[in-house]
Amino acid sequence: VQKMGVNFTVSNKDTVKSSDVLFLAVKPPIIPFILEEVGPDIEARHIVVSCAAGVTISSIEKKLSTFCPTPKVIRCMTNTPVIVREGATVYATGTHADVEDGKLLEQLMASVGFCTEVEEDLIDAVTGLSGSGPAYAFTALDALADGGVKMGLPRRLAVRLGAQALLGAAKMLLESEQHPGQLKDNVCSPGGATIHALHFLESGGFRSLLINAVEASCIRTRELQHLADQEKISPAAIKKTLLDKVKLESPSLSVASASKVSLFTNKSPSSKKN
Amino acid sequence: GAMEAAELRVGFVGAGRMAGGLARGLLRAGKVPASSILASAPSDKNLDTWRESGCRTTHCNLEVLQESTLVFLATKPHILPAVLQEIRPAVGPHHIVVSLAAGVTLQTLQRLLPAGTKVLRLMPNLPCVVQAGAMVFARGSGAGDGEAALLKSLLSSCGLCEEVPESYINIHTGLSGSGVAYVYLFAEALAEGAVKMGMPGGLASRIAAQTLLGAAKMMLETGEHPAKLRGDVCTPGGTTIHALHQLEKGALRATVMNAVEAATNRACDVAED
Repeated sequence: VQKMGVNFTVSNKDTVKSSDVLFLAVKPPIIPFILEEVGPDIEARHIVVSCAAGVTISSIEKKLSTFCPTPKVIRCMTNTPVIVREGATVYATGTHADVEDGKLLEQLMASVGFCTEVEEDLIDAVTGLSGSGPAYAFTALDALADGGVKMGLPRRLAVRLGAQALLGAAKMLLESEQHPGQLKDNVCSPGGATIHALHFLESGGFRSLLINAVEASCIRTRELQHLADQEKISPAAIKKTLLDKVKLESPSLSVASASKVSLFTNKSPSSKKN
Repeated sequence: GAMEAAELRVGFVGAGRMAGGLARGLLRAGKVPASSILASAPSDKNLDTWRESGCRTTHCNLEVLQESTLVFLATKPHILPAVLQEIRPAVGPHHIVVSLAAGVTLQTLQRLLPAGTKVLRLMPNLPCVVQAGAMVFARGSGAGDGEAALLKSLLSSCGLCEEVPESYINIHTGLSGSGVAYVYLFAEALAEGAVKMGMPGGLASRIAAQTLLGAAKMMLETGEHPAKLRGDVCTPGGTTIHALHQLEKGALRATVMNAVEAATNRACDVAED
């Protein structure tokens, strides 16, 4: 992070004080703890953006309202390709977030891909589709590359071509008015190679597998949210568990500052496994 | 020159369901007067309905050739070669011969008829009998643009009629000739689903049929891709998308593709016999 020129601190408080837009990019179970810690420093001017899967706006507002009467909260769901500025991001605005606050976030996130506002109750579905989506694509690409290798291509080339094929197809779809079914037809010459291949995909229930996947991810997200809502573990216990983990991972951190270890992670918000 | 449909004398060798359907289409569309239609059959069994419509009938195949210019060969495929032998002496350069026999190639037809005869091969499907057929035809070496245009113009009264290369005819069988049966199967299953959910069978059946008719009509009239039309029906999280997921789980698409492929392959196999 520091190599990127970003200011780095181990103090969450400092992060809050010097920010207007505050991204909470910690793992979902840590959110309540973080909110407790930074709550007193949250002012009316802050826009708190939570990227934590399954953490509702109302739960964040509830936590913060003990410190600040009208906290501006926005909930957002993005995905890993923000790293290459081709992310898919949705956001839902909380009770006290204004239209301009949403637009500000949208501007920020639009710089790393597609960003649009949604109703909060759709966020689980978005998780299933574009949150987890890159994983489906990676799996498909791995398999496509295997196919290429089986038919004689070197692995590197197979991966490169597979990725480019998906990239190109996605780009065509995004830039076209046409339905993907029509675009598919355009590739399938009568009796040709592609239609033979597609028949195999259909026989394997390709479409239903993808539908199942999106559904499963969405349902699981909802389950995790319910589990989290019912979670009775105290913030202190979470803190201890995490601190132990952090110490294991970063032995260079001094124990003296352990109580103020920033849980700021330089990973993209949705790298957590959903 | 272009033949006036009104002067055209149309003959049918064989007077079964398919021939009757085509004739009915021509009559209903006013393309050809009944008095200009002559049908032959071995027995009177099939000919009564023709006579009731005002068409002329005979038991003599040769007479059909002598009286008609446009002649449909509508016998069962296995007796066609014998019929061709029989009528061959009466076939002349003015005739347009259209064979409906599944599996009998243009090559075979041309071999059994005088050289240079204008021969075309037609593959209709059953709903021709209600003027909602899907037909394809291919022309032999003796048939020209005029004959093709005439046939297409006349048969459009029975439904969709398109000229194709002969190699598409077996595919048409798999898609639409046999395809009609797939639709009946689907309609039956739809209705059974409704019966399971509590609707009386007769009503369910009629609604199933109308649903297929309406959907097909929208496809034909809007020209939109069926995938798009499907999407238009699917409200997010609604009933339709839930149902479609079930269809996808059952790999319906692949199964249908398998069916078309099987029927097409069978048509090819049978043709080679």
